Amino acid sequence: MAKLRPKAESQGEGPDGGYGWVLVGALFVSTSLVFGLMRSLGIFFVEFVQYFDESAQAISWISSTGLAAQQFFSPLGAALCNAYDTRWVVMTGGCLAALGLILASQATCLVHLYLTMGVISGLGWGLVFTPMVATVMANFTRRRTLALGLAFSSIGLSSFAFNPLFQLLVELYTWRGALLILGGLSLNIVPCGALIGPQRRSKAPAKVVSESGVSCASFLQRASSYLELPLLFERPYITYTLAISLLNVGYFVPYFHLVAHSRQVGFSEYQAAFVMSAAGATDILGRIASGWFSDLGHFRLIHLLSVWTTLAGVFIMLLPVSSLSGSYAALMVISLLYGFCSGALTSLVFAVVPMIVGVERMMGALGLLQLIESGAGLLGAPLSGLLKDITGDYTASFMVAGGFVVLGTLTMVTLPHYFSRKDPPPPKSLSPEDPDKAAELKQMHSSPSDMNDLTGEVTNNRLPEDTYS
Amino acid sequence: MNLLWAVSALLLSCWRANASTAPNIITEPSEVNNQTSAVLSCNLTETTLHIKGSHWVYNGKFIEGSKSEEATAYTTLSLYNISHKSAGKYECVFLTEPEVKQIIEVKILPHVAATKHSEHGNENDIGVMVCVSHGYPLPTDWTWFKGEEGSPPTPIINGTTDKYEIKSTPNKTTLTINDLSIENDIGDYSCSGTNELGTNSDKIHLRVRSRLAALWPFLGIVAEVIILVTIIFIYEKRRKPDDVTDGSAPLKSNSTENHKDTNVRQRNSN
Repeated sequence: MAKLRPKAESQGEGPDGGYGWVLVGALFVSTSLVFGLMRSLGIFFVEFVQYFDESAQAISWISSTGLAAQQFFSPLGAALCNAYDTRWVVMTGGCLAALGLILASQATCLVHLYLTMGVISGLGWGLVFTPMVATVMANFTRRRTLALGLAFSSIGLSSFAFNPLFQLLVELYTWRGALLILGGLSLNIVPCGALIGPQRRSKAPAKVVSESGVSCASFLQRASSYLELPLLFERPYITYTLAISLLNVGYFVPYFHLVAHSRQVGFSEYQAAFVMSAAGATDILGRIASGWFSDLGHFRLIHLLSVWTTLAGVFIMLLPVSSLSGSYAALMVISLLYGFCSGALTSLVFAVVPMIVGVERMMGALGLLQLIESGAGLLGAPLSGLLKDITGDYTASFMVAGGFVVLGTLTMVTLPHYFSRKDPPPPKSLSPEDPDKAAELKQMHSSPSDMNDLTGEVTNNRLPEDTYS
Repeated sequence: MNLLWAVSALLLSCWRANASTAPNIITEPSEVNNQTSAVLSCNLTETTLHIKGSHWVYNGKFIEGSKSEEATAYTTLSLYNISHKSAGKYECVFLTEPEVKQIIEVKILPHVAATKHSEHGNENDIGVMVCVSHGYPLPTDWTWFKGEEGSPPTPIINGTTDKYEIKSTPNKTTLTINDLSIENDIGDYSCSGTNELGTNSDKIHLRVRSRLAALWPFLGIVAEVIILVTIIFIYEKRRKPDDVTDGSAPLKSNSTENHKDTNVRQRNSN
């Protein structure tokens, strides 16, 4: 942290680079251990179906519970980071995630798996993901999206690597042994959390209004400020959250149904699987490329996000159309394009949040966003399945999914200051009592496009009061 | 006596008359048993009904391409490479008012396959082995055997001990072995399914792992994590002296105590 401080003080320079890249590496590892692991649990489900003699649907609830718990507990993780030190929250989350998997290795019935792999590990993952993302974002300004894109590419790469690895572990050690080893692997989140370093800022003292003892009302007030509940009453945040929720309804549909749709159109198992893998590969590429391009600063992040989401929605709608002709090449091309766009928008979804709510409230904002968008995500898959059951094929499902994504883009257009060329100033947050803090907040809030204008201006015109206008 | 004869002759002729006016399908062959190919044919006789066409149905589902619009009373279906995927009940359907149909059963030996040919379990845990069968007719009997080196396989009988449990349905059988032991339970197991035509079987190899086998890699990883965390904290402690000398902007505090102090200082200064 010592390396960062002098840089932050010098005007016009963001806290980019240096130790920030170490944190990107930590986020890379922890994201792969959270989402990459979640995506590869399918290997175990085959074993569970046989061992516990349960239906595939009952077993699939394990990963649904885990994902839902991760998203549900995100605001809790954010609130705890606002109240206490981020590194300890992440380290605790890593321990919990590992504990869940270790306990799961001793499970004797299905309910045990729901509670351990689902709830306990999900709680751990919730305490890890949002805080780490917020920390990385706070450490970058000019290269924020690139940092996020690089870190999130780990999801695709790790699910690629984990599938054969988990299969090998199950072969060597049976599923119980493999889960135990996975618990150990998850424990590697703890050093990632330790890398965050001691807390740079804490909202605890600033929020304490009265120094009186702990009373119910003051606790509730503090809790609501840690959770950033007042954000729910702000129009820009609500608009953005609604847009992302609509996006989430349709975003996952191709992942669930593309293989089944390809097989229904008439392609073989291998062809269908290959389409999925190819889309996954362009997904990784899209994340990194979009991150790099966004940080060049030619366009506002929100505009780029709208472009990618519109394109993704259009390509989702084109997927059934392309396979109508029966041409494998057409399906492959559209899937590749869809993969690229969906990866591209992932990098930006989080990076836009501090533009809307300010870096100070970013942690809580991310937590709430995860919670609200999770509800939408839960809606998307059953809805598309229902449409398929009613109409007989996947055309309606894909059309509706693409429609939701485009609807999300349209909602984004209603954000205030959408059509202005520069980002609006961040909303009024805490009153900075210190010009240094205000200057640091100023350049943490600025976007890459603003950075080019700021150099040379900061010492002259922008006073702390100007940030409120 | 004469009256009895007359009545029975009357009844017989009535019955014969009824029989002769009902449409009759003659199938050739009436049943297919364990052949690799066959030609099924149906001949509709003794009917005055108008025939609009015919088609074939396999296991209740219409067979693509078997529809014929010709008003003939004779229809055939050729089967090649009869396997468990094509065995079952074939039905020829004549499109008359009402429809007339007849079933020809195509039977083969049971097709028995293990879902996994290599299974493993943990010591003192349970081991589960599954065999499934496709085709027609499905096995009526399932038996499990434990194979030993150099001696004939011994059958495993359900219900004699707590050790083995066998659950069977016509298309799936599951053998559950309780309390696996490394000395006794490693080896080859075979499941065999029997139907009216014969028996088929498949083999599964069971491996039993020690409970502690995964513990060593796990402890290795835990040790690595502890070492990493220790290194990170030590590295930070060694850099800490640099932090303290670096000015006093509120965001740089290393602990909440410092934070409160700097805020208090600021408030006083304002």
